[in-house]
Amino acid sequence: MSLQLVVNVVVLAAIYALVGVGYVVVYRASRVLNLAHGELMMVGAYLLVGTASLFAGSPVVAVLVAALCGLVMGVIVYVALMRWMTGQTVLAAVLVTIALGILLRGLVVLGFTAQQFYPAAMLGWRNQSIEVASGARISAASAMLLAVTVVVYGALFLFLRFTRLGIQLRATGQNALLAAQRGIGLNAVYAFAWGLSTFTASIAGMLLALDSGAEGQMATIGLKAFPAALVGGLDSFVGAIVGSIIVAMAEIAAIQYVNPLLSDVVPFLVLLVVLAVRPWGLFGSREQLDRV
Amino acid sequence: MEAASPYAREVALLDRASLARTIVVLAALAVLPFVANAFLLDLANQVLLAVIGSLALMLLTGFAGQISLGTAGLLAAGAYSVGILSHDAGAPVWVTLPAAALVGATLGLVFGLPSLRLRGLYLAISTLGLHFIVVYFGGEYETRQQLATGLTVDPPSVLGFALTSDRGWYFVFLAGACLTLLIVKNLLRSRTGRAWQTLREREVVASAIGIDVQRYKLYAFVVSSTLLALAGALFAYFRSFVSIDAFSLYLTVQYLAMVIIGGMGTVPGAILGAAFVILLPYGIEAFAALLPARVGNMVFALDYAAFGLVMILFLLFEPRGLVGIARRLAAARGKGRP
Amino acid sequence: MSEPLLEVRDLRVAYHRIATAVHGVSLAVPRGAIVALLGNNGAGKTTTLRAISGFIGLDDARVTGGSVLFEGEPVHGLPPSATAARGIVLVPERDKVFPNLTVAENLAASTSPRVGAAERRRLEALCFQVFPPLAELRRRAAGLLSGGERQMLGVAGALMCGPKLLLVDELSMGLAPRVVEDLAARLKTIRDELGITVLLVEQNAVVALGIADYGYIVESGRVALEGPAADLRGHDDVRRHYLGDGGEHRSYRAIKASLAP
Repeated sequence: MSLQLVVNVVVLAAIYALVGVGYVVVYRASRVLNLAHGELMMVGAYLLVGTASLFAGSPVVAVLVAALCGLVMGVIVYVALMRWMTGQTVLAAVLVTIALGILLRGLVVLGFTAQQFYPAAMLGWRNQSIEVASGARISAASAMLLAVTVVVYGALFLFLRFTRLGIQLRATGQNALLAAQRGIGLNAVYAFAWGLSTFTASIAGMLLALDSGAEGQMATIGLKAFPAALVGGLDSFVGAIVGSIIVAMAEIAAIQYVNPLLSDVVPFLVLLVVLAVRPWGLFGSREQLDRV
Repeated sequence: MEAASPYAREVALLDRASLARTIVVLAALAVLPFVANAFLLDLANQVLLAVIGSLALMLLTGFAGQISLGTAGLLAAGAYSVGILSHDAGAPVWVTLPAAALVGATLGLVFGLPSLRLRGLYLAISTLGLHFIVVYFGGEYETRQQLATGLTVDPPSVLGFALTSDRGWYFVFLAGACLTLLIVKNLLRSRTGRAWQTLREREVVASAIGIDVQRYKLYAFVVSSTLLALAGALFAYFRSFVSIDAFSLYLTVQYLAMVIIGGMGTVPGAILGAAFVILLPYGIEAFAALLPARVGNMVFALDYAAFGLVMILFLLFEPRGLVGIARRLAAARGKGRP
Repeated sequence: MSEPLLEVRDLRVAYHRIATAVHGVSLAVPRGAIVALLGNNGAGKTTTLRAISGFIGLDDARVTGGSVLFEGEPVHGLPPSATAARGIVLVPERDKVFPNLTVAENLAASTSPRVGAAERRRLEALCFQVFPPLAELRRRAAGLLSGGERQMLGVAGALMCGPKLLLVDELSMGLAPRVVEDLAARLKTIRDELGITVLLVEQNAVVALGIADYGYIVESGRVALEGPAADLRGHDDVRRHYLGDGGEHRSYRAIKASLAP
């Protein structure tokens, strides 16, 4: 297997892992499956398109402002929408996220039209192709994505393990009622979780847009990252990494050796196989099964 | 006409009052194709076909409380069964339809089995898998056969009579919708239906009182899948054309919208929801004509945005859907009377 | 005589809007006291505690009448975080710890607007003082603790919220007698040294009356009997019915008749 294939696998795994973080954060905090995550990622990409036209000369400012907007977006989604679903069934909450996704798709096209945008060009930033080793190349945007993924997971690990807010987030996910009784403000925790989720999703979307442009079909990547997160066990970050690697390997192998059209199917095939054998994912905890 | 006995009265599908109403409605429906113009007739056909699918989905989501994201995949499976069998093998309609049903039931079994071990949301996940897998195979088939745009299907013929007129299709769909309605209503009145009801409300309670939760969940999914595949099969004959592009996740969301907007867990809800969802894009098109051209031209995006918004509004404010609204109005009117 | 810290007046609670679990319970908990709420399974004790603490949403239960006053202010109907902020903290019967968090993390998770950073450190030191075994188990995941250790952690987690009133639901459930005695003694220490008022719900009347100052016996959602703990300990019917004391066999009907208000 050539080095280029390995590079491709690593990049794809990083994409799925970075996008997948958002699924895990929201699920761990509130047991909600956010099926609008792909669309939220897409909105993040378009946020960059928006800021790129405002801050054409300064890419860093454009990215930071867009990322911040991404975080705020998540808080708004929780406060304006998801908060009102807490009393209702999980079914209703998931349906709401599906509806949200459709709404966002429509709004994005209404706001930006259906054409493809290239924020890299708008920012005057060249997405160079870097040579990793003999014969293997990686685009600068992909390399950044890889670096960002590592940083995000590292930061998240430290945050959840060593900060009080992180501990409270984990506590809320395990037993919301007990958390409330121990003085934890549930609304604040959930709003933060959603903000964090869309923050990472927006960054993923932006990096993908810098690499290959922003357009409506991006949201499908979000949908494909879902099996990667699930394979690992939806409440485990380590699982999200491992799941992403496994799915990415399977997908690249299928594209390379079987049929490129399989690219959308493979993540779900892997998922179905894993679920048949280990229903709670590779690293998930058994009890999560019952809570779903 | 005296009703036989109290028990017979309860078991009868319709009491005298609703029997009268039903006859009136059926009469009106029977007359419709002869008074409506071509556009309205086509609309009616679309709605009736959608009713079959929405009743099937209502069965699963509204009554048994399971989320399925495989609606488009199952419709596609039925459509492709018809397409492939009639296109490649020249099979007649009385072979293709049962084949489609069988395909639907099999898919329901295969993708429903994991849900035996897992709970609610995992069915959503496995059906998402179903969608992508069916889409892949459909696309593969079209590529292999070098059908750039899709598959043509000859109109079905029974005893030498080919079904080509919209009016003819109307009665087929009407019959199909009524049949589906009967099937669903009877299932709901049976022990299975009561099990589903309990399942939806309190799964823990259901298993505590001895209902084999998993078996009934699977049963709901298999029945629903079979009906959806049949609806897809009819769609293939109706449009004389099958293309994988028609079966996107958006189609799945539209059917979910029918169930949500109509009113989850109600049979009239499935019908109202189907009508609403089919008619909404036309309403939006009319509305779009009023908007500035730049926005007005993006009708598809408007459709998406409108659907999403309407679904959210119903989920937030009227979870019982249009049926809920109707009941509220009826109650308010009832109170107003002296 | 100063007003009681907690006062429950004619509380009524119903489940699913049909099954009434509590039919008018009234009780008063004086500041600094340990009050025991006794009764058999299903008598309505846990429900009463839940109504006081705001934990009431479970199993679709609702307060349908009466009131709960804490320091003179009504608190029934407040969400759990609000009652915790006022100083009423509950150690629930089940799920009293966060199983995937370590002992130290469990303590860190508790939070209260009345507890600042310095106070936190003091409380944490106090927790390890009152429950020395926890100090060695700091890094152990709570789900791996033994029953007694988990109960200790449950109480410690509640202490970290700086409560004025500690509600304890079933201290002894599923625990060995020696462990229970130990826990009860520690509860008494908490009251003695920290001045925290305790309302203890217990099926094990011996243990509860051993440390309590006052007791209420709840039967079928009503207070059947109340009095200072010493009086209850000596009460014939209490001894026979709840303390397992021998004596001649009395018919169930006779006992019920004597306990009815």
